[in-house]
Amino acid sequence: MSRRDTVDENRSTSSRRVSRRAYLAGTGAVGLAAAAGCTGSPGGGTPTINIITWNDYAKDPVVEAVESNVDATVEVTSSTSSTEMFQRMNQGGEFDIAVPNNNLVSRFIEADLIEPVNMDIVSNYENIYEKFKSFANQQFTVEGNTYGVPARWGWYGYAYNTAEVPDHEPSYKIMFESDYVEEDLAGAIIMYDEAAKTMPVAALYLAEAEDDPSYKEALTENDAMTFSEEQIQNMRDLLIDQKPRLEGYISSDTTYIQQFQQGNFLVGHSGRNEIVRLQENQGVEDVEFVVPQEGAMAWYETAVVSSDSENVDTAWEVVNQYMAPTAGAELARAGKSPSCNPDVADELSEEEQALYGRIDPERIEQFIPFKDIADDVSDAYFSAWEEVKA
Amino acid sequence: MAAPDRDETSRATIVRVLSRRRNTLGVTVGPGAVWIVLLLVAPLAFMSAVSFATIENFQIVWDPTLEHYYDLFAGGTTEYSLGPVGFTTTAFEEAIMLSYAIATVATVLCLVLAFPLAYVMARLNDRMFKIVIYLVLLPFFTMYLVRAYSWVLMFGQNGILNQVLGLLGFGRVGAFEYGLLPVIVGLTHAYFPYMLVTLYASLDGLDFTLIEAARDLGASRFEVVKDHIIPLTMPGIVGGSLFVFVPSVGAFVTPQILGVGKVQMIGILIENRAIGEATNPATASAASMVVVVSVVAALFLVFRYVSLDELGGV
Amino acid sequence: MATETSEAAGEEFDDRFFDRGRVESLLQGGLYGFAVLMLLFLWLPLLVIIVLSFVESPSVVSPGGVTLSNYGGLAGDTDLHSSVVTSFSIATLSAVIATVFGVLASFALTRYRFEFREIYRTFGIIPMIVPGVILGVGLRFYFQSVPGVDPSFLATVLTHSLYGLPFVLLIVTARLYTFDESLEEAARDLGADPLTTFRDVTLPVIAPAVGAGFLFAWVRSFEDFIRALFVSGISATPLTQWMYGKITKASVDNLLTLNAVSTLVVLGIAVALAVAMNVGNVTGYVAGTVDDDEE
Repeated sequence: MSRRDTVDENRSTSSRRVSRRAYLAGTGAVGLAAAAGCTGSPGGGTPTINIITWNDYAKDPVVEAVESNVDATVEVTSSTSSTEMFQRMNQGGEFDIAVPNNNLVSRFIEADLIEPVNMDIVSNYENIYEKFKSFANQQFTVEGNTYGVPARWGWYGYAYNTAEVPDHEPSYKIMFESDYVEEDLAGAIIMYDEAAKTMPVAALYLAEAEDDPSYKEALTENDAMTFSEEQIQNMRDLLIDQKPRLEGYISSDTTYIQQFQQGNFLVGHSGRNEIVRLQENQGVEDVEFVVPQEGAMAWYETAVVSSDSENVDTAWEVVNQYMAPTAGAELARAGKSPSCNPDVADELSEEEQALYGRIDPERIEQFIPFKDIADDVSDAYFSAWEEVKA
Repeated sequence: MAAPDRDETSRATIVRVLSRRRNTLGVTVGPGAVWIVLLLVAPLAFMSAVSFATIENFQIVWDPTLEHYYDLFAGGTTEYSLGPVGFTTTAFEEAIMLSYAIATVATVLCLVLAFPLAYVMARLNDRMFKIVIYLVLLPFFTMYLVRAYSWVLMFGQNGILNQVLGLLGFGRVGAFEYGLLPVIVGLTHAYFPYMLVTLYASLDGLDFTLIEAARDLGASRFEVVKDHIIPLTMPGIVGGSLFVFVPSVGAFVTPQILGVGKVQMIGILIENRAIGEATNPATASAASMVVVVSVVAALFLVFRYVSLDELGGV
Repeated sequence: MATETSEAAGEEFDDRFFDRGRVESLLQGGLYGFAVLMLLFLWLPLLVIIVLSFVESPSVVSPGGVTLSNYGGLAGDTDLHSSVVTSFSIATLSAVIATVFGVLASFALTRYRFEFREIYRTFGIIPMIVPGVILGVGLRFYFQSVPGVDPSFLATVLTHSLYGLPFVLLIVTARLYTFDESLEEAARDLGADPLTTFRDVTLPVIAPAVGAGFLFAWVRSFEDFIRALFVSGISATPLTQWMYGKITKASVDNLLTLNAVSTLVVLGIAVALAVAMNVGNVTGYVAGTVDDDEE
């Protein structure tokens, strides 16, 4: 329900869309099948796998690609936030699979909701980028058991209007320092209305500006963001000082696209897939997306399977399909975002590969996965964000 | 009437049961009372309990604490000074003050703008009145969301207001960009019909011959307004203000879509704690309870001057 | 349109109150001019939406051509359809509950003296005064802790039935206060039992008020955004939630779609209101019963 959940709601093109199948179920056409799936009937016929995840997964080509390879009916309930996926699964055995963002997986583990990955079934896990395996090890591997499968990913940098903003070395300085480029950017910058996206930008900037690597280490070293209270206060003060330079904080990426086209801002913190969409669908040319030299935050979706599922093995088969070339390629197309399995790129056209195909593993090194804030400073972190917005 | 036996007996039973005062009371009071207890009293009691609870692992743990209230008011970053006295405010205090300030401005604007129209409406003949009231009621019944959204199109750096100014050869007006002004205009527009209709209801009962008499006796126009019209319509003024002020304090949609993240009213702060990034039932409940208490206090003051009947009575 | 009617009103205005002097007519003209301006203020943004729903691009500078395509797209939008069905279902169910309970409670309040009567009445009004954010958040946490309810369609119906209660209560009690109870006594004296008396004597008199109460409760549910935001969950998507999704994801296509849907909403309400004003005396009820719908 939150429209500002970490990172991903931007990729679902419509909010809380019910899949077409669910809609048919509502009219009674396939109601029986759906009901059977809800109550779980492993004995009879094709099992139904209920999934709660981003709208992209509910699109027909994706569902069809999965169903043609697994003996299961796939019912996708669309959600626009990982938190919501967690809450729904936490409320009881309605869903077999959820695909939240990586940073939420630990919550599922702590609440004892999910199964460890069955590596025999999820054979595509072997093929994912090594970097994501190490992320998985750090973030959701307990006693040798991995609890989630990285599916799709992307990263955040900033986009600028090349007609107005001169060429420059990509750096977050452009957002915080008025003399970084010639063009006057006061009132022409936008940031995300979301602590999880904006606070790390402040941390990455401060790490370089103050020559204090501990800001970056707080992002990279643990399975949560481990800032000190003092660091959080410095990030807060930086963002408060930045406010006069902002046109505003935005909460969705379609607004971003609209505002860019209207010329309301010149520099905006942004997800790469939005810029791809801007260039590909809207034919906008004077926009450039860059990854700042200080580093960039990356998201990746992670498929998990409920312990309450009556069809755990079938559920892992479905997850394996999301990593397989055919369905994986459909997913990449649907979200303009690359798969965590580089082999998926073979199924994409050359043009598509350039936009969301294989990434050089060395480039992946500069990305830091989004994480939850550490428990002991989460109050300080969220009140700092409220103070930024006040 | 020759109804079937069975029907007649069950009917007789109902009549017999209903003829007892206790039973009648039970049937009439009961359902509403159950609803109010289950859906109003219990949730508010639950929320107040949660505001003192601890949250561990995203679950409520009944381990009482005052911490969530303490955090609302302790510390803070925004510095103010009143002469030699300096103090800082927290984000929550800022949000409360901002919400009350915006709601006050919107209420005053509604009152000043709606009064003349209400006065004119009270003096129109029937045919004209019916047309004008239709024009007033249509926006009144139109979805709040549509009315708030309409200003999304009007404002903005390249919104319709600035586009029109551009066509007329003027430059863009910075104040028309999303932010504080659009939020105030949006709220005023949204609640204007409530003020108008309430004011009209009290002006409609006004005896205009009294006013004429006062004028004949030499009272100035200002005196007539001050000594007669305003006192006589006081219940409408207070009631209308209430209907604008209370919902404006708790506004969410308007600041959310017209404020581009720069106008953090209390509704936005609570939403973020209830279902947003900072989801935490306890901190959301604590913030909500403070609003509940302040609104109840405001209502208590208001009800010393007007009764519920005057607000709702036809 | 607003302009014409109100200027005409100026001419027809009986001016017992004003002298005939020049200052007077200037003042009067000013008053009327201001009134017309206020009607324009109410209508301008709605008119802009309506006009922009018929163009190719939501801009007054370069609106493109006139088109009906914004409406054509609505026909195939299954999400929109299901949200409209959801909103109609929620509004109807909750208004029925609010009306039944509200009418019963109105009888209790006007006919009987009982302990806690004042408290009952006060609590009966509170659901419409509590800021929507608070009611929504409170009910969300509450429903999450009640097994089987959760934020959902059912939760929304329950929430709106509570929210609609005060509107029915206020309108129906007002009518019952002015009701001449000797009519009922006469019927009973003539041998009618309480049910017959209610059906043949009481109901016909209060029916318009009950109808108005139902209408108010229905409209309040239909247009509610903020309470539904917290209690509808992901399984139910009322129209307002669907529209909000389009507003926050403000692409050109979404804005054009929204303009068309908004226009249809205004049109639907315009027709319903015209009917209601000519069939029942809606204005009489509205003039006394306004409320908040805070978001």
